[in-house]
Amino acid sequence: MGWEEKQVRGYLEFTQTAQRYHGRPIFALFCGDKDAEGRSWCPDCVTAEPIVRKELHNMPDDSVFIYCLVGDRAYWKDPNNEFRKNLKLTGVPTLLKYGTPQKLVEEECFKAELVRMLFTED
Amino acid sequence: QEAAKYDKKVMVLDFVTPTPLGNSWGLGGTCVNVGCIPKKLMHQAALLGQALQDSRKFGWQFTEEVKHSWMTMTESVQNYIGSLNWGYRVALREKKVTYENAYGEFVGPHTVKATNKRGAEKLYTAERFLIATGERPRYLGIPGDKEYCISSDDLFSLPYCPGKTLVVGASYVALECAGFLAGLGLDVTVMVRSILLRGFDQDIANKIGEYMEEHGINFIREFVPIKVEQIEEGTPGRLKVTAKSTKENQIIEGEYNTVLLAIGRDACTRKIGLDTVGVKINEKTGKIPVNDEEQTNVPYIYAVGDILQDKLELTPLAIQAGRLLVQRLYAGATSKCDYVNVPTTVFTPLEYGACGYSEESAVEKFGEENIEVYHSHFWPLEWTVPSRDNNKCYAKIICNIQDNERVIGFHVLGPNAGEVTQGFAAAIKCGLTKEQLDSTIGIHPVCAEV
Repeated sequence: MGWEEKQVRGYLEFTQTAQRYHGRPIFALFCGDKDAEGRSWCPDCVTAEPIVRKELHNMPDDSVFIYCLVGDRAYWKDPNNEFRKNLKLTGVPTLLKYGTPQKLVEEECFKAELVRMLFTED
Repeated sequence: QEAAKYDKKVMVLDFVTPTPLGNSWGLGGTCVNVGCIPKKLMHQAALLGQALQDSRKFGWQFTEEVKHSWMTMTESVQNYIGSLNWGYRVALREKKVTYENAYGEFVGPHTVKATNKRGAEKLYTAERFLIATGERPRYLGIPGDKEYCISSDDLFSLPYCPGKTLVVGASYVALECAGFLAGLGLDVTVMVRSILLRGFDQDIANKIGEYMEEHGINFIREFVPIKVEQIEEGTPGRLKVTAKSTKENQIIEGEYNTVLLAIGRDACTRKIGLDTVGVKINEKTGKIPVNDEEQTNVPYIYAVGDILQDKLELTPLAIQAGRLLVQRLYAGATSKCDYVNVPTTVFTPLEYGACGYSEESAVEKFGEENIEVYHSHFWPLEWTVPSRDNNKCYAKIICNIQDNERVIGFHVLGPNAGEVTQGFAAAIKCGLTKEQLDSTIGIHPVCAEV
């Protein structure tokens, strides 16, 4: 189908993976960590994930979709965490097109139309 | 977005015809992409350069020479603009406004044809249409202009530092650009055909010119370019400009890395099929005359913004006109857009804020004997320590003697002029008189207390 998914955890793994695929369109979904039962501490992430996944087929060929768990709730709440500082993330879930100012934050991720727009925009 | 609030089905057709050099941009119009926003950011970059210099006198110590990177600045500015483009896309989508990146033109009554960049055409019909196509920079019409010169459409995303630059024009676009380019350390020359800032208070225009000249910007007055040739290709390359005097038979030549044309903007009204539906435009200027409800001579077609005849070309004005229009059409409101006493600011190195009449137009309208001008030079406290010019900042108000000395013109030349002017604009709208102004206690120590 022309795109692939990479699952990473934490800032370092994220940047390493993004760098590895430099040159290809990269989309990333940032969510809170999941517990042993696979449920995230972030309720909005739980809602957003299936909606985003349903639209993945709209990504351009050769895209890389990075699914990134950011850390536990305490880490996320720290205003100095690397995601906030370096990637300028303000909330989870965040869906973004890496290397561009295009992103959707929190409830924006619940709207399939907006997700589709992000994946198909020039 | 306003119309969508009232549950109307709305579509936006936005398309940017690329510049002669191939440049284009996203949703948001001139202001966001190639106007106010990048201009103010670059003006700020230049001000920060000045601040760094001043800072040494305030005790900051740094030994390295401070240099400027055009690429870093441009990347940051473009990134911000990109986030605005994206923000608008999201906002339109959320409000259920259909957006097409396509060139719209009227092909028949109530019908437009939209052509996208791949050439695909679609037809749309609607009950009402609003034209807000704005303007694009004018070219000189001389050999070499489109091939070698750039305009403000290209400047803010230029992928290389422009180097030694010739700015042709004396509009606020020309002076603002010349101002920040010089502030960033570049060698800048401004070629002026006649006067500076036509339409603005000339007393202030001259002070602005003097300030710029004293701060290292060269002015070549009463000349127009007649030819631009390329000496060497490059980013930037080297260009030779030949210019002729407007007074005598003198010809001069100069070499520059970049030539920036800022001689005026033309309305984008000639190729959108207006004649097909009978919308009258001013043949000479391309502008559209409208009534005080922004309606053209064709009742279902409206227009706002820079394309309007005899109206100030300002973003907030266009936005307000558009919003009020929609509220009148769909929400039963009656307020019309007030085009009088609109405040503006020119972001030249010495900023200029104004609201109301210039001295010349006040004299023309009311007669010299009926107006009183109060003025004052001032020295911003922040400029004292670094020993910056002590007699350049200036403020004046023009009062109508016959109407209780009502303030009909406000002009301020100094730092943060825009911020200062905003409040006074509101006061003028309320009918501020000289007496009321005198009885308002000043805030100290700020420039605005003058």
